[in-house]
Amino acid sequence: MRKLAIAAAVAFAALGMATAAFAQGPTEKVRKINLYTWPQAALPQSYQASQLIAQEWRKLGLEVEVKPLQRQAQTQLIWFSRDKWDATMWRMVGRPERSDPDEFLYSLYHSSYAEKGYNFIGYINPEYDKLAEKQRTQLDRDERRKTAFALQEIINRDQPQAFLVHPKYALAFNKAVFKEDTVVNQSGIGIRNIWTFLKIEPLGAQKDLIINSNETINATNPLYIGGAVDSWITDLIWDRVMRIGPDGMPQPWAAESVTWVDDKTVDVKLRAGMKWHDGKPVTVEDVIFSFEAPAGDKAPMYKPFVTDIAAMEKTGDLSLRFKLKQPNTTFLTASLAKINLIPKHIWEPVLKDLAGKPENAEQLKEVSYIGSGPFKMVRWKPTEEILLERNGEHFAAPKVERWIMRIVPNAEATLGMLKRGELNFIGIFGGDPEVLVNFAKENPDIAIRSEVDIGFEYVAFNNRRPPFDDVAFRRALSLAIDRHLMVSAAWQDYAIPANSHVSPVLTFWHDPAVDQLKTGIAEAKKILQDAGYRLVGGKLYYPVGKQEKLTTE
Amino acid sequence: MKLVLERFTHNALALLAVTTILFFMFRLMPGTPLAAFINENLNADQQQAMLEQFGLDRPMWQQYFIYLGNLLRGEFGLSFFQRRPVLTILLEVLPNSLILTLASLIIAYIFGVLAGAWLAWKRGSWIERVAVPAVLATRAAPEFWIGMVLLALLSFNAGWFPSGGASSPGVAYANDWQRIASWDYLHHLALPVLTLALYLQGLPLLLMRSNMLEVMHEEFVTMARMKGFSEWRIVINHAARNALLPVVTAFALGVGLSMGGNVVIETVFSWPGIGRLLVQAVSVHDYPLAQGAFLMIALVLALMNFVADLLYMVLDPRVSHGRKG
Repeated sequence: MRKLAIAAAVAFAALGMATAAFAQGPTEKVRKINLYTWPQAALPQSYQASQLIAQEWRKLGLEVEVKPLQRQAQTQLIWFSRDKWDATMWRMVGRPERSDPDEFLYSLYHSSYAEKGYNFIGYINPEYDKLAEKQRTQLDRDERRKTAFALQEIINRDQPQAFLVHPKYALAFNKAVFKEDTVVNQSGIGIRNIWTFLKIEPLGAQKDLIINSNETINATNPLYIGGAVDSWITDLIWDRVMRIGPDGMPQPWAAESVTWVDDKTVDVKLRAGMKWHDGKPVTVEDVIFSFEAPAGDKAPMYKPFVTDIAAMEKTGDLSLRFKLKQPNTTFLTASLAKINLIPKHIWEPVLKDLAGKPENAEQLKEVSYIGSGPFKMVRWKPTEEILLERNGEHFAAPKVERWIMRIVPNAEATLGMLKRGELNFIGIFGGDPEVLVNFAKENPDIAIRSEVDIGFEYVAFNNRRPPFDDVAFRRALSLAIDRHLMVSAAWQDYAIPANSHVSPVLTFWHDPAVDQLKTGIAEAKKILQDAGYRLVGGKLYYPVGKQEKLTTE
Repeated sequence: MKLVLERFTHNALALLAVTTILFFMFRLMPGTPLAAFINENLNADQQQAMLEQFGLDRPMWQQYFIYLGNLLRGEFGLSFFQRRPVLTILLEVLPNSLILTLASLIIAYIFGVLAGAWLAWKRGSWIERVAVPAVLATRAAPEFWIGMVLLALLSFNAGWFPSGGASSPGVAYANDWQRIASWDYLHHLALPVLTLALYLQGLPLLLMRSNMLEVMHEEFVTMARMKGFSEWRIVINHAARNALLPVVTAFALGVGLSMGGNVVIETVFSWPGIGRLLVQAVSVHDYPLAQGAFLMIALVLALMNFVADLLYMVLDPRVSHGRKG
């Protein structure tokens, strides 16, 4: 990776000298750019955006081809053949744990993730790396915030990709069934969150919350994540030491308090009186076991969340201490609010039985659904429905009797079901948000809540390949895109403009200074011109001396 | 008996071919099952571990023989995503698909045969001029369109039927038999069955009608007329019986064909069947589950093909006699 960085730096210096040395001279035409996107049917907004972007780029004298690829094929190309593409439409989705900015600040641009991880665009910047590492060690929130701002400013300067929008999601519920003000909005996530499911209050005889999912539930297993929807359910059955609150910050959950003793030590005091669904008490041993279980090779998906733990120690009947291998401010969000608490008396024999066998805890024929969470599992049919009932003994016992999720692949049918009462909560809507909003206008019982996403949509540039290895070129291409046009023409106003990897909904961490991105074709042309690019016969030519041997595939 | 055996071998070989094609087809598609896991914090080592765990790191021919070996022992493997045996997953939804298919086919064929015979009898009348284009239209209209129209009219607006699923939210039954026999299940089944039956009735109707028209000119019908039998008796007892043969074959094959073709209906009506499972499995490259689902459909198709062969031998002695001669 370092080699690449040096090479880039050398190329840069050479480029600067070249432009300075020769005002005129023979140059090379910038080759055709392929802009990959999703098929229109799969993601109409992204597809529309890619067409608009190509139009703007052509105005700069570039030849651009928009190439839709089926999702799997696109992932295969972008993710596994990292040196074979130029630019692609891409998206990062919001999840509760992404309310801490670390995942996006660190993984998206840290050089150690360039070869195989999230930094698939190959952005290499030692200055960025250093600050990204620094924010992980800053326990003082205000100090960390300053670093987060600096990181956002670097990305704004370098434009390793062009952020487009943070989408807005519209969700709905029946306000004739539920008391309207008991529905909780979680920053960047919306109303489909555990806080709503705990606090939502039935008004009449219908005591069940009936929510939809558009995809099959793969697994209900505290040691395996089979898909996005799976985690809505594990969330409710199994408690965690902390939870991400409605404000996006981690707060003690199964713990009375969580305290940093120093930057590598965390003390946890558990709540008294918690019980597993089988009636046995939740002990410190159970909690320690829950963090030990993924450490071996039997729960590979949860292993990354416990690798930072050096040791755990019982310090009292209800208290324990975590010792970390290195300072890590994200430990609360990434580990304590992530690891499901599981009963030792059930899982210890299961894991012992698996020891030495090739199978792991993800493939158990019979998974125990005993947790300590606010809901208990009653039954699940993967392609049909899952049924949970309230755990009345829980410290945050829900108000609804049962939580039922129906698998409904047909977006229009979800509206029909909402109208007929077959559903009373829309947890995800696969269709156009406008359809949902209009539906609510015709049906006064239906309340709509929309929220800006933590995630974002963007055009990723392959920073490894010319011409995208040049900051000026990337800036120009990014500034050529009018974000307000994206919002209105591609996302039909269900989005806000983006220019940061930290969403404005994360008010504490988002740097408002980067919001003022001055876009426009004139601005973009000027940047290119200043950097030595030239327009000849309407085609864009490289600055003098810049050469590349790549071909468009 | 020899003929039965021959037909059986024939179908078994076809199944083997299907298995082989399926195996390689999925693996030659772009993308790997890992692509679907990218967003789940999986690092390179974990990805490698996953490949090894499912044997995806071995050469393809090795994977193929392991797969065949497992199939012979009745093992379909584990689903990549659900991490459960494929057979268990398939058997959970197979009854739903079979019930949907059989109910629709039976309704479509009873209606089609009777209406077809009747239309043949009414040849040249205004009824024929209206009915034949109408039948052609239902056959040509896309299933999802018929489904959505029926949903909008009979469920969203009239409210007579549920909008999807196989039973009401949160309703539990002691066992599958009780569930299937319940009013709730039948109520949910009605719209998908109606849609599928509307789509399917065209074939038997048109087939029956043209067969009838042909048969009604044959000598034995003229003979029956000369005997002075009533027109209706001639239609039912003499002509229809003979016209029915090709319809029987079409029915048997229809079971297999529409098993796989129910994908659309199952998606529109959120019906938990094998078609939806198949779509989902293919889209995330869940090879074992997709192969299993296809194979299950192929198996039903081959089986029904075999049944059709047998039925033909029983119904029409010429088939087996012809072979001997």
